[in-house]
Amino acid sequence: MRWYEKLLRSKAFILTMIVLPGLWPAWPILRQDPTVAADPLKYLLHHFGFVACLLLATVLALTPLRVLFPHAAIALALNRHRRLIGVGAFFYAAIHLTCQFLHEAGWPTFWQDLRKPFLLAGMATFLILALLAVTSPTAVVRWLGGRRWKNLHRLAYLAALLAAYHQAAARKLFPVQVLWIFVPLALLELARVVRQRLTRRQQVLARPAPG
Amino acid sequence: MHIHLKKDWQLPESAVTSESAYRLRPRRDFLKTLGWGAMGAALLRTKGWGALTGFPAQDNPAYLGAGLKVTPFKLVTSYNNFYEFGTDKGDPKDEANDGWQPEPGWTVEIAGLAANPGKWDVEDLVAKMGGIEQRIYRHRCVEAWSMVVPWDGFPLAKLVAFARPKASARFLKFTSFLDPKHATGQKEGNLEYPYVEGLVISEAMNELAFVATGIFGKPLPNQNGAPLRLVLPWKYGFKGIKSIVRIEFTDKSPFSTWQKMAPDEYGFLANVNPHHDHPRWSQASERIIGGGIFTGRQPTLMFNGYEKQVAAMYKGLDLDKYY
Repeated sequence: MRWYEKLLRSKAFILTMIVLPGLWPAWPILRQDPTVAADPLKYLLHHFGFVACLLLATVLALTPLRVLFPHAAIALALNRHRRLIGVGAFFYAAIHLTCQFLHEAGWPTFWQDLRKPFLLAGMATFLILALLAVTSPTAVVRWLGGRRWKNLHRLAYLAALLAAYHQAAARKLFPVQVLWIFVPLALLELARVVRQRLTRRQQVLARPAPG
Repeated sequence: MHIHLKKDWQLPESAVTSESAYRLRPRRDFLKTLGWGAMGAALLRTKGWGALTGFPAQDNPAYLGAGLKVTPFKLVTSYNNFYEFGTDKGDPKDEANDGWQPEPGWTVEIAGLAANPGKWDVEDLVAKMGGIEQRIYRHRCVEAWSMVVPWDGFPLAKLVAFARPKASARFLKFTSFLDPKHATGQKEGNLEYPYVEGLVISEAMNELAFVATGIFGKPLPNQNGAPLRLVLPWKYGFKGIKSIVRIEFTDKSPFSTWQKMAPDEYGFLANVNPHHDHPRWSQASERIIGGGIFTGRQPTLMFNGYEKQVAAMYKGLDLDKYY
């Protein structure tokens, strides 16, 4: 096993990679960057939302990567951590939502703003991620049964769509960032669907003709 | 006898904060700067500090007020929407001070339906306005945040009088600069440039409408719209067009840049109105810049608290329809 394969298979390493972006804001806040100091909460709000989107897109990209490159050690190593990364996305979404609550300074504004489609989409994303996080422990997976669990967790694709819209609508102008995060995922998914169709057709062709 | 009449648009003294946030003696600061000699002045110019004419600002005793709750200088100059230099709030302070020189040689053109059209060097034009005064205004952004800024400048009404608009002139169209070589946002084309804004002529004549050439008793920093910009405290911040190069008097309503970009989100009037929401967020309240994590929100006031001075202009108008 190569050294990088070992590293990517290590849970501790992946956990560190998930936690680090959460600590990143400490840097501009501690050195009192004036742009951040103008409204530190808004900065945190945007930052944690960004990390949540990034992790959601990452975890969804892992399956198509494995399908497209079934012999790549990196893809296989990373696929061991799907649950960890997915739950990470949920945790960042939860922190992001907490920031939003503080940003709105309480329930009245929070509810008032929640009627806006863009914030409703964010809330729906969070609820889906929460549902998926709650059903991620092995015991719950067993209780649900493989097929039902899989169907339920397909909601993650809906969450990604909602998150992309939510992130795109969060600024006055369309933020290019959204494309960087979600377009590669869309391309990977597209490639996976094409690949699976081709494989299926080959399997059909390879089957001996009924005699 | 000397009587101080407090203008009713002055902020109440209940908004008092530490004086350290805002130095009340800009004049002394300025003299210190002068004390550095010609070299210091030259340095200021190359750094693009904007039109120097008229500084130090005249301490207007009616408007100076005792230490109002002003947003710290550092935040006012580091948290800017100036898309010509990037869409992040921190971009303009870097990008607008990296090769772009609003001075010297900046000219402002007065054109259209006016009896006194022409092109003026910005320093001459400011000199013709008869000196600089200081006013402290609330500043409310359409993104639901607000600041309090001490502006230096002159009433827009003075410039309108100077231009001598013809009877047929009903609107003012303001145009900002176009310099994609230095303005990174213009090179990217994040908006349609040059930036355009407009006012009804009665709005331009309102006593609150102000042309700022400075903040905190200093010439405007580049990122705040050097060398001169509009300040319309009862409207959302994006109406306050920065770095103006042209003012045209017209009989047709100009299309402003944001109005063109998203007409259902940004109207021509763009008056601060807590009852008319942005389609994507509420305008009922606002974050206070510099307010911190747990105390940063206050209710938004109709016309940003300047109802008394401006409401009459919009009497009978459906402000939900004309937002």
